[in-house]
Amino acid sequence: MIAVLEAPSPSAVVPGFIPDGDLGDLGPLGSWAMDAAIGTDEYAAEAEAFEALALSFMNQLYAAALRMTRNPSDAEDLVQETYAKAFAGRDRFTTGTNLKAWLYRIQTNAFINTYRKKQREPKRTDAEAIEDWHVARAASHTSSGLVSAEQAALDSIGDLDIREALAQLPDDFRLAVYLSDVEGFAYKEIAEIMDTPVGTVMSRLHRGRKMLRELLAEYAADRGIVNHRAGPGGSDVR
Amino acid sequence: MSGKSCEEALDRLYEFIDNELPPEELRRVAAHLQECSGCDAERRVNERIKELVSGCPKEAAPDDLRARVLAVIAEEREAG
Repeated sequence: MIAVLEAPSPSAVVPGFIPDGDLGDLGPLGSWAMDAAIGTDEYAAEAEAFEALALSFMNQLYAAALRMTRNPSDAEDLVQETYAKAFAGRDRFTTGTNLKAWLYRIQTNAFINTYRKKQREPKRTDAEAIEDWHVARAASHTSSGLVSAEQAALDSIGDLDIREALAQLPDDFRLAVYLSDVEGFAYKEIAEIMDTPVGTVMSRLHRGRKMLRELLAEYAADRGIVNHRAGPGGSDVR
Repeated sequence: MSGKSCEEALDRLYEFIDNELPPEELRRVAAHLQECSGCDAERRVNERIKELVSGCPKEAAPDDLRARVLAVIAEEREAG
């Protein structure tokens, strides 16, 4: 099959990441290659473009890997594994589709297969998650006064609190929330990345966000008590 | 507005915030949020949390990782 490569826009290419060397011998690029024959300048240019575009996502993949593994050393290994798999299997990448989502899918798979096993976290079944979701759906809201207080409390929440709260969530929930809120992926893209139906993505987002909200409310409440105790004059005022 | 509109709005709140609702439902939920302060307060809290999560600073990849990845790509080239 001959796929037509849409050349990435120059702004998407980060030239600094291209290593020097002979670009004439790049090996098979499969469907990534356009009409150019192996060994030609056009072929080398395509390989270079794929490489530069893939490498431009390294910071994002690393930040995501940190949220996944919750540990810098595992995060580095995970990103390295992601790129090794991406470059070994780039002929399976369909030109014209979303390279960022494809890389996230590889990284998510690698995380699930390697690191989650290593961390020995019990895996929840999709059925469980969906069942929980239906139970968890709110049918009514609390009084707007309580919610205003909660909103004010959220102003005391810092980045470290957010990171800590995210780290508390089960993997599937944490990942769904991260992919939606931080990376801005659509539900359909998250479903592809996590290899699960859209309904399951929605259930993970629902449950993950509810847990996150509860955790943040707890942190804010804890901080409130601490602040009171350490208040002016050192007395235990309320 | 039916008595079920709070239920629908809350049920669809995350989809509303994530911009995942089809136009017809989006219009219905938006209209309800405009006239129901309770549901709208829920929307604000959830949007605020989404902002807090998305605004968290992201760590850059360390230089040694960059070097490791470039080495992997070089290896991949030679193998190919």
